[in-house]
Amino acid sequence: MNERMRKRGKTENQNDNCDNMSTDLYGPIPETVKEVNDRLGKIFSGCSDFMHREFSCGKNGLVRMLVAYIDGFVDKRALNQDVIHPVLKFLSNTELYEGSSIYKSLKECVVIDSDIREANDMRQAVDGIVSGEALLFIDGENKALVIGVKAPQGRQVMEPDTETSIRGAREGFVENLLTNTALLRKRIKNPNLKLEMMQLGEQTKTDVCICYIKGIANEEIVNEVRRRLKKIKTDAILDTGIIEQYISDNRLSLFPTVGNSEKCDKLAGKLLEGRVAIFCDGTPYVLTVPYLYIESIQTTDDYYDHAFFATFMRLLRLTALMISNLLLGMYVALVCFHQTVIPFKLMITLAASRQGIPFSPFTEAILMILAFELLREAGIRMPKPIGQALSIVGAIVLGEASVAAGIASNLMVIVVAITAVCSFVVPPLIRSTMLLRFIFLIAANFLGFLGITLVIVAVFIHLCRLRSFGVPYMAPFAPLTVHDLKDSLVVVPIWAMVTRPKILRQQENKRGVKGTKRQEVNTKP
Amino acid sequence: MMYKKDKKRTGRVLLAFLLIFPLLLTGCWSNRDLSDMNIVAGVGLDRTEDGKVLLTVQVVEPGAIQSTSSGNAEGGGPQPKPVFVESYEGETVFEAVRGILSIVDKKLFFSTAQVLILGEKLSQDGIEEAMDFFQRDNEMDYLMDVLVAKDVTPREILEMETDIDAIPAIYIKGTIENTVLRGTVKKTTLIDLIKDMISNGRQLAIGQISKAGEKEVRTEGLAVFKGGKLAGWLDPRETRGYLFAIDKIESAIVNVPVDKGKIAMEIMRSRGRVKVAFENGEPSMLTVKVEIEADVGGYEGSSSLESSDNLYFLEEKLEEEVKKEILMALEKTQKEYSSDIFGFGTYVRKYHPRYWKNAKEGWDKIFSKLQADIRVDAKIVRTGIVRNPLKEGK
Repeated sequence: MNERMRKRGKTENQNDNCDNMSTDLYGPIPETVKEVNDRLGKIFSGCSDFMHREFSCGKNGLVRMLVAYIDGFVDKRALNQDVIHPVLKFLSNTELYEGSSIYKSLKECVVIDSDIREANDMRQAVDGIVSGEALLFIDGENKALVIGVKAPQGRQVMEPDTETSIRGAREGFVENLLTNTALLRKRIKNPNLKLEMMQLGEQTKTDVCICYIKGIANEEIVNEVRRRLKKIKTDAILDTGIIEQYISDNRLSLFPTVGNSEKCDKLAGKLLEGRVAIFCDGTPYVLTVPYLYIESIQTTDDYYDHAFFATFMRLLRLTALMISNLLLGMYVALVCFHQTVIPFKLMITLAASRQGIPFSPFTEAILMILAFELLREAGIRMPKPIGQALSIVGAIVLGEASVAAGIASNLMVIVVAITAVCSFVVPPLIRSTMLLRFIFLIAANFLGFLGITLVIVAVFIHLCRLRSFGVPYMAPFAPLTVHDLKDSLVVVPIWAMVTRPKILRQQENKRGVKGTKRQEVNTKP
Repeated sequence: MMYKKDKKRTGRVLLAFLLIFPLLLTGCWSNRDLSDMNIVAGVGLDRTEDGKVLLTVQVVEPGAIQSTSSGNAEGGGPQPKPVFVESYEGETVFEAVRGILSIVDKKLFFSTAQVLILGEKLSQDGIEEAMDFFQRDNEMDYLMDVLVAKDVTPREILEMETDIDAIPAIYIKGTIENTVLRGTVKKTTLIDLIKDMISNGRQLAIGQISKAGEKEVRTEGLAVFKGGKLAGWLDPRETRGYLFAIDKIESAIVNVPVDKGKIAMEIMRSRGRVKVAFENGEPSMLTVKVEIEADVGGYEGSSSLESSDNLYFLEEKLEEEVKKEILMALEKTQKEYSSDIFGFGTYVRKYHPRYWKNAKEGWDKIFSKLQADIRVDAKIVRTGIVRNPLKEGK
């Protein structure tokens, strides 16, 4: 076989050598500490954070033992106290005789740590080491112990920056998967909350976790999530954003069909409605599917507040969404095409503000909105300490100087400012709104209101065709699900929201017993 | 779970495209910038001695308006004028509208025109031909007010520099709104005028505008037309009588002379109807019925208002006064102008179509000869917040 290989090309040969080496290296675990140590040394060559130490222990120093781990990943105190110390003590106090009982007794009664696994080949052993566990190997056995003594890592649980609310929990997810699942479990104390782990990414081996409530979530959707996640074949999963792009129904759509959140209470709410969550290690953003259009204007505050206010806020958000999409285009259409509908006095104001502007309203709008987008992007990218300089420059350039210099009209500045403010009201749709705004603007410049209408029609056709994990995106409006309208534009009081969203088609639909709808208060003595 | 991709998708896309495409063939194409337009505030239309149409436009200079209203005119130079007025003669209205572009810098935008002022000469020659353009053009605002200028040319009125409003057209429109509340002018919008021109059995009547001073106009009175041609005028009181009859009074102050003083009555609600009574298939009598609700607005006399008898007496006096006004208007239109601006003919056409068929042509003559029966029913509802006048009698 070796001879045949030599005849092949050089690169392939090298490849094969590598393969050979790797298969050899990752094969069954050898019996002696020395060999294991050599293998690990080869696998982790060049990894300065790889730590391994051989011990000679037992009464006569006859038993050799190997501990290997990645530095900084493992809680060394726990490793010393709970693993190495008891093992050494045990071995020095115990009479040794032939047989494999050392390994067995170590596994069963010496190592204190509760999270303990067996590795049957080198592959498993290495996987354990790279995911932050310690490897313990004793001479004379084809097995090794993988002990979970991960050091607590990452930042503290704190309030998320991206999703703020007035009421409700301030806890946000962190980068550590297990912390996140624990935070969730804290809110839903129920064995029906299922967490299915899997690893994605050929290189990164990222832990990904599907989460749902059995009995509430639709099994079909859960299966679909499993299927789509398993289909992902990629090198690296660094964030849920990458997963999102792989599992979206329509990968080219401007509209998000996968939701994400950083907030525990929001996620718990979504799960209780029958949605499925996808956690990913290394990111505080958790995905939720199916994601419907209406969810973009829903916030957790809506459910914690009085229904009337919540309804008002919903309508306000929807208005803001429409304004940020349409206002710029409408303004251009009005000024360029449909002057006849402008009242006389407004007309004079408009004409006065337009006087002496060298650009057409369209060019003016493009310039101003580009300036705004630049400021916004710069605000995100730049280092925080120089933020103030940007806001001053932005305010002066956009607001004052451009008007004084006769580049833009006062009214255009107002229109762009309102558009900008409104676009921040509905964060999940900021990006789609940003692009749609340009499309509306171009359509308005060519066809006026007719163009805007055509684009609206096209967008609605697209939205109505869109699905998220099989659920129509525009539900409960298209298809009309009267039942689910209770939590759409109008929010009914929480005690009247007795059923879960029907469109998600759960098995168990009632949220509670009907009698508990409203607490009867007995005021009579 | 997953939905199947539609096989007929391309077909549907094609169909959608075919349905959307015709929308692009509609007229609204032109993209024109607001700053490339002259905003027309008022339009004047007259006829020259040699029979040409004389178009006058009053154009707003928005920049000047802004600087005068916000008071930040730069420099010490002469203040820019808020409006300018230009005239052009043409064979037809449309020709004049296009021709005037040769003396102004930007296209004219007529949709903002607030008033249309018709000259006396044009009115005497007949306005129907001239109005066709205003009805036909897609940019005309049907709600602009139409007025006929008396003893003054439209250009003189449009050129008038008032101190009251920067834009004279806005000032004129404002005076119309005010005079409507006094019930002495008929507010005629373009759409009203067009409707009246089409309707059978009613002659045109358009509000009147005249010069009140160097810098003021007065919108009072009525221009009476016959067959589309100016026949004569009604004075403010006659106009009010006419408006009472045709149910166009929104509010009015009627002075009623009572024993030693005058009582000013404010008409709060008024309902008028005109009919023609028939006898043996022939019209025998014109009937006008008016119901009025009025408040006592001011009592410049000395009787008490406490007893209901007094109020009944007042009601009778008010009825008499209104009746007199209606009669004045009716007699003038019958005797002097022989023009049925009340719309008695419309009533006949509606309820006696067979008779109307034959009498249509000569209706104005028949109308002039008929006797009139005017009935006014007045009610006094309130006397303000006091009952008796300050200067109380014994």
